Amino acid sequence: MAALRTTSRLFASSKPLFRPAVFARSYATVDAVSQEPNPSETPKIKTFQVYRWNPDQPTEKPKMQSYTLDLNKTGPMMLDALIRIKNEMDPTLTFRRSCREGICGSCAMNIDGVNTLACLCRIPTDTAKESRIYPLPHTYVVKDLVPDLTYFYKQYKSIKPYLQRETKTEDGLEYRQSPEERKKLDGLYECILCACCSTSCPSYWWNSEEYLGPAILLQSYRWLADSRDEKTAERKAALDNSMSVYRCHTILNCSRTCPKGLNPARAIAEIKKMMASH
Amino acid sequence: MLSQKVAQQSLRRLAVQQPYALRWSLMNSASPAAVALGRNIQTRHAASSTNSSDPTKLLEKQRLNRPVSPHLTIYRPQITWIGSSIHRVTGLMLSGSLYLYATAYLASPVLGWDLGSASAVAAFAALPVVAKVALKATLALPFTYHCMNGVRHLIWDLGTGLTNPQVIKSGWTVVGLSTISALLLAFL
Amino acid sequence: MASIARQNPLLRQSCLSAFRAPWATKNVAQAVAFHASAKKQILPPLPQSIQGTMNDPAPIPESHPTEGSYHWTFERLVSASLVPLCIAPFAAGSMSPVMDAVICSAIVVHSHIGFHASITDYFPTRRVPKTHTFMNWLLRAFTLGTAVGLYEFETNDVGVTEALRRVWKA
Repeated sequence: MAALRTTSRLFASSKPLFRPAVFARSYATVDAVSQEPNPSETPKIKTFQVYRWNPDQPTEKPKMQSYTLDLNKTGPMMLDALIRIKNEMDPTLTFRRSCREGICGSCAMNIDGVNTLACLCRIPTDTAKESRIYPLPHTYVVKDLVPDLTYFYKQYKSIKPYLQRETKTEDGLEYRQSPEERKKLDGLYECILCACCSTSCPSYWWNSEEYLGPAILLQSYRWLADSRDEKTAERKAALDNSMSVYRCHTILNCSRTCPKGLNPARAIAEIKKMMASH
Repeated sequence: MLSQKVAQQSLRRLAVQQPYALRWSLMNSASPAAVALGRNIQTRHAASSTNSSDPTKLLEKQRLNRPVSPHLTIYRPQITWIGSSIHRVTGLMLSGSLYLYATAYLASPVLGWDLGSASAVAAFAALPVVAKVALKATLALPFTYHCMNGVRHLIWDLGTGLTNPQVIKSGWTVVGLSTISALLLAFL
Repeated sequence: MASIARQNPLLRQSCLSAFRAPWATKNVAQAVAFHASAKKQILPPLPQSIQGTMNDPAPIPESHPTEGSYHWTFERLVSASLVPLCIAPFAAGSMSPVMDAVICSAIVVHSHIGFHASITDYFPTRRVPKTHTFMNWLLRAFTLGTAVGLYEFETNDVGVTEALRRVWKA
């Protein structure tokens, strides 16, 4: 115990006594202590091209703005780079972020041509190539990297994403599922609705007002596949038109881009099979 | 007099040494003169005026200004969507040429064109060999690609072969096989 | 002093910079004109407008007996039947007039469905309602013309597969 205490004191004393408040909070920046001037380490300067549009100047066209960062002093992820740009270079840069661990889905954006979560996307170490960051493709831009997902959420609401059931169980307790029935929901319930897949789908680009898109269809299948739900027929009837499901032409960008490794294309194929067999 | 001077000096020192502290103290304490004149009551202007009828109208107006983020031009070329767009383009090309030829054949007696198979064969036979092979290849490649990719689509519709590695592999297989078979057909 | 610093942006900048990280390079950001969007887009999307509040669900499109699941199943069956029909001429060499007619009709139906899907995708009703209707009627007219034209070709000429074979061998 005593030994433990001395080591901990040693550890504590190795830290600087005073650090400005800025350092204490900016986790996007690598700690200053570990980055003491190291002559052998050459700076890794990388350029980031970021999409900019300001709603306060609506007549101005969107433009690409470039920022350069030393990767040795930046965290490993794209979100670290963005936060560092916002903290230290340009506070007007606007983007959504929250959990920084791929569970909130806020930082969905198009990085180097592919939709992904900035917090799960490593910065490519190739400094010769610049990284290009855009908002999610074919969305209405609120500001900079922030898209308006209002309609996406309205579409989510339209599929009634909740358990619909009239009958009670005999014992009045919870609705039970067999392990096999529960297994059907694996790969569906993990979806965080980040909209990466929907906005990667060319079909959704052209018809996002009526076509539901991969994310919402995956959610739809999650309720169609649920053994406890009793409104399967109604759910299928609501999808049985030319637009909701059948604008899907199995382009498969959705499964390719999903940052959570889910397979919306498989869910849509299962919906089509269910619809065909009634 | 002296006390006043001392107070003034200390204030000045405070201003030089700790500008923020002074600002803070000035903001939060009303001067006696202000209190006497009744100016110590803070007034705040509302961010939005109360007489505007519907606050959602502002959002609607802002929405009209919003640009659409770039899409086709910036998305990384991947076998998934590039292959799919080629599938559609080849389908439109093949069906389009069939539609044009068939309707032209129907209208040929009226227009006085000779579009029968005999004249087509004669016209094609008159071409040099290089042109023949090139023309055959440009006809055969869309056909073979569309057919093979069509089979791929049918397999997907059974709910199989939809994982990322499978899709990438089958996509490039179709590209390779259709090119080879189109070349074979061209030299037939 | 404080008020001066507040009013003078230059002074304020220097005050703030003391709190910044020493390696933070002075705003090296430079604006570049945005090239990715084409000058003239084909069928650009309409300005954003959303019906109802954000708590209302999006409307469900109307269903129609000839659209939806039956349409999809029919389309898949036609496509699947085209697989053996496309291989048959290569395997058999020459085709009987009946088989030729079957191939032609399957291809015409398949083409019609494909064109129709493209029109629904690229000329949606809510975006260009008149063009949508016009294109659909144009497609119907062309499909009819093609069907009759192919019938004429089958009856007055040698048949599609045989004609293609002759051209290929020419």
